[in-house]
Order: sequence, then structure tokens, then C-alpha cells
Amino acid sequence: MSTEPIPEVMSKVVARPHIRHRWRVMFHQRPLWLMWPSMFLLIVIIGIPFLIAFYISFLNLTQYTLRSWLHAPWAGLTNYITALTAGNVVGTSALASLGVSISFSVLTTLLITPIGVLAALTVNTQYRGRTIIRALYLVPYVIPTFVTALVWRMMFLNRTGLVDRFLAALHLANVNMYWLLGPNSFWAMVITDTWASWAFIYIMVLAGLQSISHDLYEAADMDGANAWQKFIHVVLPQLRHILGLSLLLSTLNHFNNFTLPFVMFGTPPPVQADVLPLNVYVSSFQLFNFGLGGAMSIITLIIMLIPGFLYIRTLRLGEVKV
Amino acid sequence: MSSTSTTISQSATSRPGPEKKHRNAQEILPPPLRIAVTAILAIFILIPIAYMILLSVTPDTEVGGEQLIPSHWAFDNYINMWTTVNLFQGLQNSLVVSGIASIIAVILAVAAAYVITRFTFRGRLTFLYSLIGLQTIPGVMLLLPLFVVFVSIQSALQIQLVGTYTAVIITYLTFALPFAIWLMVSYLGSIPIDLEEAALVDGATRIQALWRVIVPLALPGIVVAIVFSFLTGWNDVLFASVLTSPTTRTLAVQLQVFSAAQEGGALPLYGQLMGAAVVSALPVVILYMIFQRYLIGGLTAGGVKG
Repeated sequence: MSTEPIPEVMSKVVARPHIRHRWRVMFHQRPLWLMWPSMFLLIVIIGIPFLIAFYISFLNLTQYTLRSWLHAPWAGLTNYITALTAGNVVGTSALASLGVSISFSVLTTLLITPIGVLAALTVNTQYRGRTIIRALYLVPYVIPTFVTALVWRMMFLNRTGLVDRFLAALHLANVNMYWLLGPNSFWAMVITDTWASWAFIYIMVLAGLQSISHDLYEAADMDGANAWQKFIHVVLPQLRHILGLSLLLSTLNHFNNFTLPFVMFGTPPPVQADVLPLNVYVSSFQLFNFGLGGAMSIITLIIMLIPGFLYIRTLRLGEVKV
Repeated sequence: MSSTSTTISQSATSRPGPEKKHRNAQEILPPPLRIAVTAILAIFILIPIAYMILLSVTPDTEVGGEQLIPSHWAFDNYINMWTTVNLFQGLQNSLVVSGIASIIAVILAVAAAYVITRFTFRGRLTFLYSLIGLQTIPGVMLLLPLFVVFVSIQSALQIQLVGTYTAVIITYLTFALPFAIWLMVSYLGSIPIDLEEAALVDGATRIQALWRVIVPLALPGIVVAIVFSFLTGWNDVLFASVLTSPTTRTLAVQLQVFSAAQEGGALPLYGQLMGAAVVSALPVVILYMIFQRYLIGGLTAGGVKG
């Protein structure tokens, strides 16, 4: 039996030396077989495909060589070079898509954070009807992404969509904004994802708010702090960790979001909305250049690991209850 | 809480009464501002939803027209949409696939979490942390390799997988596993071990103790895990579009077919499409509303959306 050191976060869950000892006396055998099915499935359905994806990215794999993919010609780093320079036939290189993906995920996260924090503050105090408001806030978040994307596609329909009607009625913009075609498609995507995902920050912040001790607020009251000072000096410092975690997870979730742009724009999407997951999909399943798609997805994964590593290094995973 | 603090905060906010004071200490947004923010958010939330419902009862000929409000309510959209594409089959497939996948996923997760919380073994923490790693892998990256794996298993075992329920169920249940295991680990970890010991001393087997003692106590957590696992399948478009055949298509794919079919057609059936969208969203929204209280804790614990 191993005696590995247990980080603090796990201590509540796993570290029970005395009990462990008693149990070892009671059972000579641990029923480890209970977790074999889970491990088997995780390895076969996620682990092995992951390794295959890595391998494929070094192959010259097309629909003609797919059937005997193990014997496909080795391409070395060609796919990676192609991905970063030339891109697919539709014209977006992985580098350009990377730019779109990063601006999309960072911008959306920056937009939803103040909305989520404000929303959490509106339901942090007791009042009549708070339960209804809390339920309402969750609705956009729980609607399936493919439904959200379809609805906003209707909202952004040129000329007859609600957005164009509204903007034209206020004389703010031309009635032909072409939200789903040109440069505006990026903003259509940002607005839609903001609508769909701000409740994620809201839920996380609300949980954080509820764990702030009441004494802190009262101490601030006694010191004569006004609401704004309380927010800056009491609430925000207490929310630091959970906000950090939420921002990281939110950025990664947006970065990984395939369904929303896929359903909103179809394939191939407008260049300005060609996020990395969509580019991988188009390269692999519409242009049948599986090697290129594989290389792009490896690039995606590496980019996603960077904020994760930075975050874990600065905060230590052990301090955050995941 | 001394009486001094009571008087100070009372005079500061000029609202008497102990509960009021209790409330005001936490108050960051003054009520008028709070109501304004809530109202703006509510409008922001409700406009697209209202628009979806409005379009779903608009005749297809009027969706692209000049008038926003239709000349008459086309409730027959909700009848016709079932025959335009085989929406009912999609609904049925989604229910079967997501339902079976979520139940198996949670059974496996409870079993795994039981071992993880009750016993030590080499690689236990590595296993737990690698679950987080698995969740960050982009789905689109796994799509082709997973297809290759299924095809290889097919030719090795001489069975049909791609296009059947089995492949989709296995896929969804595995994708739901990491989060379900984490959730169950945190639930089972908080159940005192003494209760099981009592059962074991009374002569129950380990599996009986798990079934009779642990499962009833962990029921709230199990509900959360089932709901989230269910949504993994219900919300997926990517894997279902490749792994299903026309007869096993889930609702999400059927809706894609619905909107794609109109692009070449003469008249887009936007009204029916929005009706179908309402029908796809409704079960999920209802599910959340019923289990809302449990789910918020689960959402925070995992920080993921299926």
C-alpha cells in the first residue's frame, strides 16, 4: 500500500489513517475492481483516441489513406508548418484562427465577469421573489447551446432579425448589418456567448459570496464603510481565488466552444468567426486533411495548457477547492 | 453582536429591526440600484427567449416579412414540425441515449468514488487529478480518433458499433465520468465511515453496505451527477453528428438537419424550427428548475458545463 503525501485539499476526502488501518484489518482485500470499468472506459474512449490524435498529427492522412491509417505516410512536422502558415483551402491558417479564438475567449470572459458579479450581488441579500430571480438568471445558461445558437441566428438575421430591426428603428445602424457573414460575425458570436455564459461567473461568485463571513461585513459597517468601499475592500479580496478559477475555466470553456459557432454560422464559417475548434473540424471533416486537423488540435491543446499551468503555479491547485 | 453595533448600523442605515440590520450588512447594491440591475438583466435574458417563442407561432411566410407581430398565431407550427423532420424519433433517441448513459455513468462513478474515498492504493491521487486533465481535451480533437477506435473494435469483434445506440451511449457516459466521479468523491468523502462499519459488523457484505447505507445518504449528489451526465448527451452536437445513423440521430442533430434542409429550399421553415428549439430546450429547463437547489452546488463544484 502506498504512502504518498496527500495535499491539503484532499485531506477531508481521503486522509483517514486510523480508519484506513481499521479497514485494512477488516478486509484483507480492497475491492479495487469497482473502479476498473471507469478506468477501462476512460482509457479506451478518451486516452487511446488522445494518443491516436497525437500520432495522426504527424501523418499525411487523407480520406484515401484513412482506411489503413496505420500505414499512412509519415509527414513529420509538415502538418504543423502548414497549419501555422498556409491553413486550409477556405483560407484561414491555424495562426489566424488562434487569434480569433484568443480574442473571442478573452473578450467574452471580460464581458461576462462584471455582469456575473453584478448579478450575484443582486441576489446576495434576502428579499421577496429572490428565488424566482435566481431561477431566471440560470435560464440562458441551461438552455442547450445548439438551441441558443439557433435562436441568436434568428436574432441576427439580416434586415428581418430582431437586432437589425431594433438598431434600424433607433437609427443606430444600417438595417443591413450582415451579422452572420462578414466582420460583424465575430461580434455576433461574442454577444451570443455573453448571453449564454455569464451565469457561469454568477454561480461561482454567488458561491464565493455565501462563504464570506458575516462578521467581515459587520466590521466594515462599524468602521463606517460605504457600499463601494465594502465591495472593494471586503468582498473582492475574499472572491479573489474563486474569481481567478472562474476566469480560467471560463476562458478555457470559450476556447473549446465548438457548438455555438458551428450552429450559428455553419461550415465553412466567416473568416472572422473561424475559431480553432471549427477550423479543426473543417480541415478534418470537410477537406479530409486529417493530419492537418490533428496538428491544429494539438496546437489548441498546447495553447490551452499555458493558462492552466500559469494558474496552478501562481495559486497552487491545493488552495482551490475544485 | 453587541448592542453598540446594532445602534450604529441602525443609525447608519436608518432601518430598525434585527433582521433588517442583518440584511444591510451584506448589502452592496442599494435597493434601487439592485432593482435596476435585475430589471436590465431580466430584459437581456428574456428578449431572445420571447423572440424564440414569438417566431415559433409565426407563420413561416411572415418570418422574413416587414411586420414583427404576425397577422395570426400559427400554432400549427407545433403540429407540423413533427412531420417536417422526424423530430419525435430524435426526441426519443435523445431521451434513450442520454438517459441510459447518465444512469450507467453514475453507477460507475459511485463505485469508483467508493474505492477512492475508502481505500488507499498506488496512483489514487494521480487518477483523480488526471480526470481534470481529461476534461480539458478539446472534443473536436477526439472525434476522428474515437471513430477510428470504434471502427477497429467493429472489425476486431465483428459487431456493428458506429450508427448504433451503443457507440453513442458509451461515448457520452465516458465523457460524463470525470465530473461524475469528482462529484461523488466529494459526496462520499463527507459520509462518515462508521455507518458502514456498523452495517458490516451486523453481517452485511461490502456491496450491501454500499447499496443500503451509502447510496441513500449520497442521493442528493447522485441526482446532481445524473442530471449533469444527462445533459452531456442532450447538449452534444459534435459526436452525435458522426456516430449516429439517420435512425439513431439525437434531437440536436435532427435540429441541425432541420435547419440545413431549409438552406436549399424555397421557403425556410423558421417558425417550425423555433418550435422545435422550444421543445429541445424545455425538458432541460424544467429539469434545472426541479433540481435547482442541488444543482447550483454541483455546478460550483465542477465548474463545467456539459
